[in-house]
Formats: sequence, structure tokens, C-alpha cells
Amino acid sequence: MTTVSIWRWPTPSGLPPLPLVGGALALLGALWLTAPVVEVDFVRLLGALGRMVAFAGQMFVTPDWHYVPQLLAKMLETIEMTVLGTAIAIVVSLPLGLLAAGNATPHPLVYRITRDLLSLMRALPELVWALVFVSAVGLGPLPGVMALAFVTVGFMGKFFAEAIEVVDHKAVEGVRAHGAGWLQVRLFAMLPQALPDFVGTVMYILDHNLRAATILGLVGAGGIGYDLVMSMRLFQYDRLLLIALAIYLVVTLLDRLSDRLRSRIIHGARA
Amino acid sequence: MSAISIQSVSKRFPNGCEALMGINAEIQPGSFTVVLGPSGAGKSTLLRVLNGLEASTDGSVRIGGETLGKGNLRKLRASVAMVFQQFNLVDRLSVVTNVLTGRLAHRSWVGSLFYLFRTEDMEVARQALARVGLTDKAWSRADKLSGGQQQRVGIARALAQRPKVILADEPVASLDPVASEEIMALLREIRDRDGITVVVNLHQVDLARRFADRIIGMNGGRVVFDGTPAELSPQALRTIYQREGMEHDNSLDLALAYA
Repeated sequence: MTTVSIWRWPTPSGLPPLPLVGGALALLGALWLTAPVVEVDFVRLLGALGRMVAFAGQMFVTPDWHYVPQLLAKMLETIEMTVLGTAIAIVVSLPLGLLAAGNATPHPLVYRITRDLLSLMRALPELVWALVFVSAVGLGPLPGVMALAFVTVGFMGKFFAEAIEVVDHKAVEGVRAHGAGWLQVRLFAMLPQALPDFVGTVMYILDHNLRAATILGLVGAGGIGYDLVMSMRLFQYDRLLLIALAIYLVVTLLDRLSDRLRSRIIHGARA
Repeated sequence: MSAISIQSVSKRFPNGCEALMGINAEIQPGSFTVVLGPSGAGKSTLLRVLNGLEASTDGSVRIGGETLGKGNLRKLRASVAMVFQQFNLVDRLSVVTNVLTGRLAHRSWVGSLFYLFRTEDMEVARQALARVGLTDKAWSRADKLSGGQQQRVGIARALAQRPKVILADEPVASLDPVASEEIMALLREIRDRDGITVVVNLHQVDLARRFADRIIGMNGGRVVFDGTPAELSPQALRTIYQREGMEHDNSLDLALAYA
């Protein structure tokens, strides 16, 4: 008796597509092979459970309220670094994004070079660039801002370029057919359509940069990072608690703001 | 002198598809021409070649006596406006900004860099919107409008350009019969009042009969009919719409009987 299966995949043979099966198997194999290398060890993880609970318990202390004014000042500095670094990056990334978008670039060679430049800029994390800039311009928030802006251009330029690449071609043609020039087509047809994606990217990057900025203090590049690391090293959990809470609050507020802004831009202002 | 002179224009796409095979036509200034033909006959490609959105592989196009080429593309486009089946508006921009993009051809990029327009351009846009009856929608976003209204914005954009020629590629194909009638009447009125040469691709034979003063029939990349609406006999329609390998096609007769 032949078995007639009632289930099948929507392929000519009824079997799952080979690339999909192959890809899934390869992924599983890779996981199995690499787990020991990165020391993923569940037994050890279970053994450490007690210590983790103990550490978490230490976080429940009375906050050090005398630290609040200094915390606010440092937090403000962190936010300023974030906003400034991101703002500088937006100004630089917009033109770079146009050059790095396949449908907007003036020449394939320009596209290639810009893409490679952007990869270079985001190849190293903010912390490493901050080290470089600290040696160049000295301690303080300035090298922090420079490092943030630098890496952000690398990411934002790429995101902008990809947002421009997926804009509706019909509208681009509509503007082009009416005799608009090279730059005019990009400004009036491509950028407005890519705007919601841009805003989404900027909001995500603000979020990311805020968290990146909190750590730059580690190498003397300003912000809350220095206090964060010091309170951890000196076991001042009463301060650590406040710092973590402050960062969490700012990130959450930013998230709310970005939701509002995005929906306004996607759906237009409410009449 | 013809407004548009099409001389043995051929277009072969990189995938080998021969869309146009030696098209010849002279289009007189201030005429209303309708191009009829089955889907895939090359109507859209022809209009796109006339606007320089596609380059012809052979032959030449002259607009107002000047041969269309890479160098004068933008200059000639300034006098040739285009209306699209899918309207091709920038959805996120306001109606009036969309209309103003029709002015870009006449302005340099310096002002455009800051999205600035001249006050006189604004006046042109206002008049164009008044012509299509959308003054009250000027500040709405383009994607908030109905299909018929969006197409009227498309026509206002074409008008704002102050063109000599308007090419319309199936402007009513995605509209209801009433809106289609309005759009065609609008195009006709523009021809009558402003003396702008209009070339329209259509699928509706009855609209073609009523609005055109000349009909060009295309099939398989060739012109198979060229005459007045009165000359468009059932036999001519059969030639235009016949399919390859179907000598006697009953469905063709049936479909055309109601056209």
C-alpha cells in the first residue's frame, strides 16, 4: 500500500527546498562545533547561579541620594554627547548615504569607495576610536563626541543608503520625467520617500549612542561611564543602582519619543 | 513643423524583447492623438522613448525640431510633460509640492537644495491646481487623495511645467468610468485652451473615438493603423487587437462588438 501524505510543502516535488534544509543543518552544525570554543557550558552556568543571585541581591540597597546632583550632571553630559555626536553624524551621513545608494550614486566606483569607507568607519567600536581621539585631543567629552560621530557615520550612512535603495521607483520617474535635474530628483523624490526610514534609523542610533556614550568614560572620554565603572570597582552598589536606573529611564523616554515621531511622519500630522 | 517627429524608432530591451520595430509618425502641434493597442504592443515604450525615459536603440525622435539625445534631455523634458497610469506622485509630499516639482526643470539646483521655490512658481502651481479643481486639497498629503484626485494632481504637475507636449500613459487605466471621463475631458480642455499637444495611450476604444482627432493603432511593436476616429472600422479594430497565431478569434469579435 502506498502512503498518501496529506501534508506537503508548496514546491514542485512537495519536499522542503534543499537550500533551506542545507542552511538549517549547516547552522546547527556550526553551533555544535563552536559552543566549546566560546565556552558555552551549561553545567558551569548552573554552578554559577548562586553567585549571580548573590550579586543581584547586593543591588538592593538604599540608594546614595547625596550622589544624585553629580549623577544628573554626568547624565546630562552623556545625553549632550549623544545628541551632538548623532547630529554631526546625520549631517555627514546624508550626502554619503546618497553616494552609497545603488540607485542614487553618480558612478559605480563612487558607490564602491563610499561603501568601503563606511565599513572602515564602523569596523572598530566607539571605545577604540575614543582611545584614538583621547590620545589626539586629550581627555574630556570632545574625543567622546568625535568617536560617537565617527562610528555613527559608518552605520547611518549605510542605513540611509539602504533606505534610499528601496524607495518607490515610480515617483522617482515621475519627478525625473518632468525635467528635474540630478540633485533635484534626489531631493524631491528619493529623500522624502526615505524619510520615515531615516527617522527610524536616527531613533535607533540615538538609543544605541546613548548606551555607547555611557561607556566612553571608561577611557576618559566624558559622560557617566567613568562613575559607572568606578562604582562597580569600588562595590558602591548604592550608586550603581542609581546610575543603571537613570540610563534605563532615559532609554525608555527616548523610545516613547521615537514611537510618537515615527508615527507622525509615516501617517502625517493629525489634523 | 511637427511637434513630435518619430523617425524609424526601434527599441530592443537587453533581454531581447523587441518592443518597437521601426515606428514612423509625425504629430502635429495642438493635436489630440490617442494610441490604441493590446497590452504589450509597445504603447508605453513609445511614450517613454518620447520622454527619454528609455533610449531608442535605432532611429530618432525630434521634439519641436530638436533631436532628443543625452545632452539636451533635461532641456527637452522641460517642454514635454508626462502623466502616468500609477500617477507617480511622491506620496509623502503635499499636493502643492508635487505640483511644484513640475517647475524644477526651469530652476537650478541651488534653491532646490533648501526646498525653496520662487513666489511666481507658487502662483503657477496655484493656477494649475485651480484648473484641475483641487485648490482646497493643496496642503493635503498626496497619498490621502482618491485615485481620480491623484491623477488630477498628476495633470496639474504637468500643467505647472508649462509644456508644449503632454504625454499620458494610460492615465485612466486605474480609475472608475466617471473619473476616467473627467480626466479625458480635462486633457481635451487643456488641448483646446492652451494649444498643448496631447498624446494619450488608452485601452478604452470608446474614449478614443470620442476624444481623439487622430488614432494610432499599434500591434507587436508596429503601427498598424493611423487615421481619424471615423476611419476606425471594425476591421481596423480587428487588425489592432488581433493576436498572433489566431486567425479567426471569436472572443475578439465578441469583445470588440461592445467596444
